[in-house]
Amino acid sequence: MLALVARGFLQRKLRVLLTAIAIALGVALMAGTYVLTDTINKSFAGIFQTATKGHDVVITPTQSLGRRVISQTSPITEQMLAQVRGTPGVAEAAGSIFTPGTFLDVHGKRLTTGGAPAFIGSEVPKRFESFTAVHGRFPVNAEEVAIDEATAERSNLKIGEQMIVAGSAPAKRYTIVGILRFGGGQSFGGAGAAILTLAEAQRVVGDTGRYDQIDVAARPGVTPSGLRTRIRGELPSTVAVRTGSEQASKETSDLESNLSFLRTFLLVFAYVALVVGAFIIFNTFSITVAQRTREFGLLRTLGASRAQIRRSVVYEGLMLGIVGGVVGLLGGIALAPGLDQLFKSFGADLPDSGTVIETRTIVVSLAVGVGVTVLAGLSPALRATRVPPLAAMREGVEIPRRTPITRGRHAVPVLLALIGVRLVVAIALGEPFSTIAITFAIGVVLLYVRLRQRATGPRYRLTRALAHAVGGLVRWRGITGRLAEENSIRQPGRTLTTASALTVGIALVTLVAVLADGTKATINQAVDRSFAGDLIVENSSVNSEAAIPAVLAPALRRVPGVASVTPIAFTVGRLRTSTSNEAITAVEPESFERVYRVEWKQGSNATLQRLGESGAIVKNSFASSHHLKVGQRLEVLTPTDRYVPITVEGIAEDNTRLLGDLTITLALARRAFGQREDALDFVSYEKGVTNEQVQPRVEELLASYFPQARSRTAAQFKADQSGQINSLLALIYVLLALSVIVSLFGIVNTLVLSIYERTRELGMLRAIGTSRAQIRQMIRYESVITALIGGIFGLVIGVVAAVLITTLTLSGSGYVQAFPVGTLLILLVVAAVAGLIAAQLPARRAARLDTLSALASE
Amino acid sequence: MAITAGDGRDGYSMIVEASHLSRRYGEGEAAVDALSDVSVGFPEGRFAAIMGPSGSGKSTLMHILAGLDSPTSGSVRVAGVELTELGDRELTQLRRDRIGFIFQTFNLLPVLSADENILLPLSIAGRKPDHAWYEQLIDTVGIRDRLSHRPAEMSGGQQQRVAVARALISRPSVVFADEPSGNLDSKSSGDVLRLLRQAVDDIGQTVVMVTHDAHAASFADRLLLLADGRIVHDGEAVSTEQALDLMKSVG
Repeated sequence: MLALVARGFLQRKLRVLLTAIAIALGVALMAGTYVLTDTINKSFAGIFQTATKGHDVVITPTQSLGRRVISQTSPITEQMLAQVRGTPGVAEAAGSIFTPGTFLDVHGKRLTTGGAPAFIGSEVPKRFESFTAVHGRFPVNAEEVAIDEATAERSNLKIGEQMIVAGSAPAKRYTIVGILRFGGGQSFGGAGAAILTLAEAQRVVGDTGRYDQIDVAARPGVTPSGLRTRIRGELPSTVAVRTGSEQASKETSDLESNLSFLRTFLLVFAYVALVVGAFIIFNTFSITVAQRTREFGLLRTLGASRAQIRRSVVYEGLMLGIVGGVVGLLGGIALAPGLDQLFKSFGADLPDSGTVIETRTIVVSLAVGVGVTVLAGLSPALRATRVPPLAAMREGVEIPRRTPITRGRHAVPVLLALIGVRLVVAIALGEPFSTIAITFAIGVVLLYVRLRQRATGPRYRLTRALAHAVGGLVRWRGITGRLAEENSIRQPGRTLTTASALTVGIALVTLVAVLADGTKATINQAVDRSFAGDLIVENSSVNSEAAIPAVLAPALRRVPGVASVTPIAFTVGRLRTSTSNEAITAVEPESFERVYRVEWKQGSNATLQRLGESGAIVKNSFASSHHLKVGQRLEVLTPTDRYVPITVEGIAEDNTRLLGDLTITLALARRAFGQREDALDFVSYEKGVTNEQVQPRVEELLASYFPQARSRTAAQFKADQSGQINSLLALIYVLLALSVIVSLFGIVNTLVLSIYERTRELGMLRAIGTSRAQIRQMIRYESVITALIGGIFGLVIGVVAAVLITTLTLSGSGYVQAFPVGTLLILLVVAAVAGLIAAQLPARRAARLDTLSALASE
Repeated sequence: MAITAGDGRDGYSMIVEASHLSRRYGEGEAAVDALSDVSVGFPEGRFAAIMGPSGSGKSTLMHILAGLDSPTSGSVRVAGVELTELGDRELTQLRRDRIGFIFQTFNLLPVLSADENILLPLSIAGRKPDHAWYEQLIDTVGIRDRLSHRPAEMSGGQQQRVAVARALISRPSVVFADEPSGNLDSKSSGDVLRLLRQAVDDIGQTVVMVTHDAHAASFADRLLLLADGRIVHDGEAVSTEQALDLMKSVG
C-alpha cells in the first residue's frame, strides 16, 4: 500500500508541491521564529558570560519589578562599596556605571540608529574589564571617551575626533581616545558603548555618588558562593548579590523571558498560517478523493479493505506532512535572518551571531507539519473508505453521504454564534489559555455538528448569492465572465472552503486595521480634548522608553515666549496584593492642570493639588477592575524595592495613554520611586505669541544642550502616534501576508484540480472556437470571484469581530469607533489581485489543454 | 469500386479538401501511421459518412479536417483556407466561424441552460444571434419547451438535439459529427440523424460524420470506408445491410 502511495505521489508532483507549500510556509515561520529567538538568546548568553568573566561576585539593584531602562536612581551607594571592600575575603571591589544614553556626532546626528541601545559606561579595573582597546586607550580625564569598534566603524569615527554624549546632564563634547572591542571580539549585540571615566560617567547619567553595579574579586582560597553569602549579610535587600555565573544566567533568563514575547508574537502568525494551510490540505484531499473514486472502487473490487483505503489516504497525508515539514524547517532556517531584517527595518535591532538550531526546533516543526496535515486529511480519508466497489465499473458513482444530523437544527447555529462571541471576548480580555482552548474545542465540535446538519438544508445559499453578486463584476465581459460565475458555484462547498482560507487572513487584517484606526481616532480625539498646551518635548529615539533629562524642564522655562512647562514621568509600581506591574504616571500638579484637562469621574483639579507625597488619581478602568474607591489606602512596591503608602484621591478617565493606572506627583516619584529623568515636557506659550516664534527657539536650545530631545506640536504629536501605530500595523500586515500567500496556493490547487475535472469541457470550448485567451480569462475570472468571496467574508467577519471586541471590552471608555474605509476597499482589491495571481498557472494550463480531449470517447 | 458521386468532379465546389494527408504518432519503432497518403474532398451541401473499424484512422482524419490536429504531411483546405499554414489563433477563428461540431458525449456545458448552450458559439465570438434563424432552429430540433433547462434536466436525445442546434447556429461551412448517435437509444438516434439529413436537404448544410454504426451511415449521401489509415471505399451511401457487408470485407 505504501509503495502505491509513493508512486502516486511522484506522478502528481505539481499537486504535491502546491499542497506541501501550503503547510511548509506556516512551518517555516514557526521554525524561523525558533531559530531567530534561539540565536538571539545564545548571542546574549555569550555577551553576559563575557561581561561577568573575572567577577566572583556581582552586586546590582534588586529590581523586583523587573529591569527598566528608563532612568531610576540606583540604590547602590559609595557607602555600600566601602562596606563590600571591608568584607573579609574581598580582594578587590569596584563600582561602575552602565546606563542608556545618546551618542551623536558633532553635527547632532545620532550614532546609533533604529532601536539599538547605546550605553554610557565607566572604566573598571583591568580584572573586571570586558572591553579591550584595539586602538588608543581608555579615557583618563573628563574630556575623553573611548567607543566600541562597531559604532566607530559605522560612523567612521577616528581617534582624535570629537563626539557628543548626552545623558541626564546637558550634552557635552568629548575627544575620542580609544576604540574598544568587546570580549573575544564578538559583537556587543548591536548596541553601542561609550566609556567615560567613572566620575564623568556618574555626572553624565545624573547618579553622582552612586553605581549601577559593584564587581567583586575574591581573595585566593575564597569561593565565589562563600563570598556572596558573606556580602549578602552586609547589604540591604534593595540590592541583589550574585556570583558571576549566577549573574550571567540571571541576565540570560531575564532576556529569554523578554524575548518570549517576541517568540509568542511571531508564533501566533505561524499558527494562523498553519490553520489556513489545514483548510487547503482538507480541500485538496477532498477533491482528490472525489476524483479518485474510480481508483478506490477498483482497489475495493480487487479486495482492498476499508481500513487499507483509509490508510492509503492517511499515508498520503503523512508523506505530504513530512515533505511540508522538512521543506518548512529548511525554509525556516533560511527565513530566520529575514525575520531579523524585518524587525531591524521596523526599528528593533537584535543581536545575532551564527544560526542556532535546537533539537526542539526540528522536532516541533516536523511534528506540527505532519500533525496538521494528517489531521486535515483525516475526514477525506474516511470519506474514501465509503467508496463502493461498484465505482470501478461505472462513471459518476457518488460517494454515499453520511446521514445528516437532524436534531437541534435551530439550536446549534445559535449555540455556535454564542460560542463565537464568547471566544472573541475571551481573547479580547486576555483570559487564561485553558479557557480559550476549551471554548475553541467546543466551537469545533459544534461546527462539525453544524456541517453534518447542513447536508440537508439548502446548502451554501450565501455562497451562491455572493458568487452571483460578485459575478456581476465580470458578467459584462460576456460569455467568459458568465461561465466563470457559473463555474465558481458549481461546487459551492469547494469554493467556500477555498475562499475560507483567504477569509482567515483578510479577516485578521481587517480586524487589526479597524482596531488600529479606532485607536488612532481615539488618541486624536483624546489629545484634542485633553491637551491644552502648545508643544510637547520628548526623546527623539524610536525607543518609547527613552527619557529626557530632568534639567530640561527648567531650561525650557527660560525660553522667551514660554509661559509654563510641566514635566511628566512614567514609572511602574506593584500593589501588595498583585503580581503584575502597574503603569504609573508622575506629574507636577501646579503646572499640569494648566495644560491638561483631566476627565474626572470623581474629584476635580483641586484633588490634583491635594495629592502631595501620598495621594494618587486612579484610572477608571483600573479602579473598576481592582474595586478601588476614593479614600482607599494602597501599599505600592516601587522600583527601588520599597513599599510606599498611597491613598486613592480621585478617579479619572483617560484615552491619551498619558495617565497610567495610577497618577502620582513627581515629587513622590523622585523621592520614593527613584525617578531621575522625565518622559515628556508639556510647554505652554504666553498669550499672543505664535508657534513660529517659539518652537524654533526651543529647537535651538535642544540642539545645543539636549540633542536627544525634539519638540512636537499637538498636530505633530498626533501624527507621530499614528505613525507608531502604522509601523506596528505594517509589521502585522507583513506577517499576515504569509497567510494570504498560503491561501493563494489553495486557490491555485483548487483551480488546477477543477480544470483537470473539466478537461473535456475545456476541449469542447476550444473545439467550437474559444480562443486560448478566452479560456485564460475565464479561469482568471473564476479565481477572482472565489478570492472576492473569501475577501468579502473576511471583511465582514473582521469588522464584526472588531466592533464586538470594542463594544464588549471598551464600551464607556471613550473609545472612538472608526472604519478605515479606504484600507478596507484596498483589501478587496488585494483579494482580487491575489485571485488574479493565483490564476496565472492554472489559466495557462487550461489554455494549453489538448483540444482533442473533448472528442476522446471513454 | 467505382468512384462516382460526391467526389467533386461533377459540379459541386469543395468545402473541405485534403490531399496526401499522412499522420504519424510516436517515433522510431513505436511509430504508428494513423493516416497514409489520404486524399479526399467534401463538396458543399452533401452528407458524408466515414466508417471504419477501430484504429482505422477515421477519427484522426476528422480531427485533421477540423483543424484540431495537424497532419505530419499533406494539406487541408476548409472553405478555401489552407489549415496547415495557420497558427492557433487563426485556427480558433476558423473553427469559430466556419466549423460546427457535434460530439458523441454531447459536451454541453452543464452550467448553462439549453438556449445558452445553443448560443454559446455566438457568445464566444461576441456576435449577435440572427433571431429568425434561432427561432427556426429550435423549432426544427424541437426543444422549445426545454430552452430554460440545464443539460442535467434533459434526456440524452434532447441534449444531442441541443448540440445539433449549437452546431448549426453560426451557419458553419461544414458540420463535423463524431459518432453523434453513439450514446443514444435507437429512437433518439433516428431523431438526431434525421435532423442532420434535414439540415443537408433543407438548407444545404455540408455534414461530415464519423460513425461505426452502419444504420447511421445509411442516412448519408456518401460512404467512405477507412482501414489502416487508407480510404478503401468511397461511394454512394448504401443500405444498412450493404454497409455492414462492406465493413466485414475490410474488417
